[in-house]
Amino acid sequence: MDNLTEELKKRLIEILNLTDVTPEEFDENAQLVGGELGIDSIDVLEIVVMVEKDYGVIINNKEIAEKVFSSLSSLADYIRKNSPK
Amino acid sequence: MSSKKRNVYIVGIGIISPLGYGLDATEQALRKNESAIAPLHVFSIQQPPPLPVGQVQNLPDVTTFPRTHCLAITAARQAMEGCTHPPDAVIIGSTTGGILTTEELLAAQDQDAHNYRYHGLTTVAEEVAREVQCSGQALTVSTACSSGTVAIGMALKMLQSGKAEWILAGGVDSLCHLTYFGFHSLQLVDPHGSRPFDKNRQGMSVAEGAAMLLLSTIKPKNPLGQILGCGLSCDAYHPASPHPEGKGASRAMQKALDSAALKAEAIDYINLHGTGTIENDRAESKAVRSIFPQPPPLSSIKGATGHGLAASGAIEAAIAAICLQKGFIPANTGCRQPDPECQLTPILHPDDLPIATVLSNSFGFGGNNACLVIAQPDLFSSPEPAGQSRPLTLLGKACITGAGHTQQSMERFSQRETMAGTVDLETISEQLPVRKVRRLKRFSRIALALADAARKDSGLDHSPHCVFMGSGWGSLSETYDFLDKLQQSQEQFPSPIDFVGSVHNSAAGQIAIMHEATGANITSSGGDYSFEQALLAADTFLDRDDSSNSAFVLAADEAHTQFSPLLDPSIQPAAPLADGGGCLYLCRQAMPGKLSLQLTFFRKKTNTVIDELITASGGKETLQRNCRMILAGIPAAEAKEGQAQLDSFLEKSGLTIPVIPYREFTGEFASASAVAAVMAVHLMESAEIPAGKKILVLGFGMNVTCMEFWRQ
Repeated sequence: MDNLTEELKKRLIEILNLTDVTPEEFDENAQLVGGELGIDSIDVLEIVVMVEKDYGVIINNKEIAEKVFSSLSSLADYIRKNSPK
Repeated sequence: MSSKKRNVYIVGIGIISPLGYGLDATEQALRKNESAIAPLHVFSIQQPPPLPVGQVQNLPDVTTFPRTHCLAITAARQAMEGCTHPPDAVIIGSTTGGILTTEELLAAQDQDAHNYRYHGLTTVAEEVAREVQCSGQALTVSTACSSGTVAIGMALKMLQSGKAEWILAGGVDSLCHLTYFGFHSLQLVDPHGSRPFDKNRQGMSVAEGAAMLLLSTIKPKNPLGQILGCGLSCDAYHPASPHPEGKGASRAMQKALDSAALKAEAIDYINLHGTGTIENDRAESKAVRSIFPQPPPLSSIKGATGHGLAASGAIEAAIAAICLQKGFIPANTGCRQPDPECQLTPILHPDDLPIATVLSNSFGFGGNNACLVIAQPDLFSSPEPAGQSRPLTLLGKACITGAGHTQQSMERFSQRETMAGTVDLETISEQLPVRKVRRLKRFSRIALALADAARKDSGLDHSPHCVFMGSGWGSLSETYDFLDKLQQSQEQFPSPIDFVGSVHNSAAGQIAIMHEATGANITSSGGDYSFEQALLAADTFLDRDDSSNSAFVLAADEAHTQFSPLLDPSIQPAAPLADGGGCLYLCRQAMPGKLSLQLTFFRKKTNTVIDELITASGGKETLQRNCRMILAGIPAAEAKEGQAQLDSFLEKSGLTIPVIPYREFTGEFASASAVAAVMAVHLMESAEIPAGKKILVLGFGMNVTCMEFWRQ
């Protein structure tokens, strides 16, 4: 388990106020949008803002977004590949 | 024509939009089929380039009042031109009130509460009423982008029922940071400017403007049109996205046709909501096709004007009047290649065509849909209004105060101890599903908890169809957090979640989703009289001929550490805050043994208002015979005047019954009267008040209001 994935779990729980989920319970390979957590399009936009703000990675293309937000691990992959650092 | 039928005529129109001032300028601009959408310059932004918006040029006098108020007052003056008769009521649809000014004050860290005095939505209606010398009701509805249409629809219903003869109704919104950055954060803004129904459309253009319609049941010499019908519905689907099949939208269209007693074939032109967002235009197309297998000519004008939010429906009602008068159909400006997926072909070039009827669509966040049917005068007559006014019947109640939920609150009240304070968020949310409310902050949670508890209290297994909600201040937490994050990030990272939650009607929309309430859904705002305004809206829209119709009628406000002391003049600096609200589950059907209630009086203060209150209550003798108790609401900011009004009422009516000044128990907050309504019900149930005898809940101050409670 890498640090970015763990960090993203905590950030998502925080910004989406998933108070009944612990980072341990957050399955990084499960369907992120429309899955069990009830994450929808508005949450995705909130995550987009967070990713740009905290990681400097811009997601503004629908096709890319669909892939990126398929799971938390794909989001982590995308950030790793596109991070300006 | 039977004398009972009341046709509602358009007597005068005021319109200000990015297309210009007045009907002539608007028509000329529409005939040119050019877009007025241009890069933002109304206020400066930190991160260029500015996005394309629809802005009003050369607005006079933006120093005394916030921009929204100036737009509204200018449009109201236009509408009233040549009319010496003040309207009986003013109904304004607005989503953000004086927020542009508030944003500037917050950015400057201004702590002088006086400077925030025009923040409230209700202040727009109040200033318009002052301008047009209306001493009746100054009402405000806030149903996001359908607000202006709902305001006109409410005026129609009030006029048809004979509650008023003259009403000035319309919508207004100014551009502001909240909506400019908010819609951008939702990726709903087309960087090339809005082009509704185009294959390549990418979204809307946020805009501003105002339109006011002077409506009357008294036929003027040259009526500009006739409002025939209005249909409201709620998607009860999602806070910010339309139902993908346009189900709510088609219901509203059908209801509007039904209320106009017209078939779909009778519509000559549809003015589409057509914002230019991918989802709206797609859903609206489906809705239109479901009602109109062969649609008449149709277009959205938002590619020309932008989306004036609360103003848009009123602007488009005004434009409908132009269409009727001039035999003219405006083009769907900006659309080059109609989206084949929509399967609708909007009018691409302005056209001259005689038109007798227009259907005008408006849909908003919270799934709030409203449609109007507007027609040539006297071609059709309004349907027969339903029978006599009937009181509402109480099925369930709930309140939240600083003491907790209903039981804890009423226990305190029974001991005549204060309930004032702010209960913690966990207690408020304890009966709410964690996942479903995770995005909601204090205001929406109070509202949801109230509806949930009122439904449970009713013992019924079904929820009502309609929601009528009042709030003095709406979602303060989301509004504050949105603007705060925006400022902290140099306008780079506004929160989409906070924007969606900041909308005044977001709480009522959430209630609709949770309770599958697909009927009318109206959020009213009236400062300290917000609950009374919600009750008035319920009384107007809960049709008398449909006894199965039922509604949550509620009001709530949240205490906010930074905002509340700045906004609510009844809150003293550094004083402990109070909040909460109350909810009644009501229906029209009379039920023996159940409690009845009625809003019997709502007027602005005047020299004669107390005499009028006594008359409306049946006169001195009736009051003395029937009234057993009074709950009196005197907001702290109006302590002196309110007390004088109460004293005058007691003296003139000769009543010597117990008077409970309820704010001593609830604390100071705008929706305190909603808690008072629950207190009245509690007293009716616990004190031995015989059938037919009444408790009055009176509101004093800027307005004087009366709600009566009794057992059937």
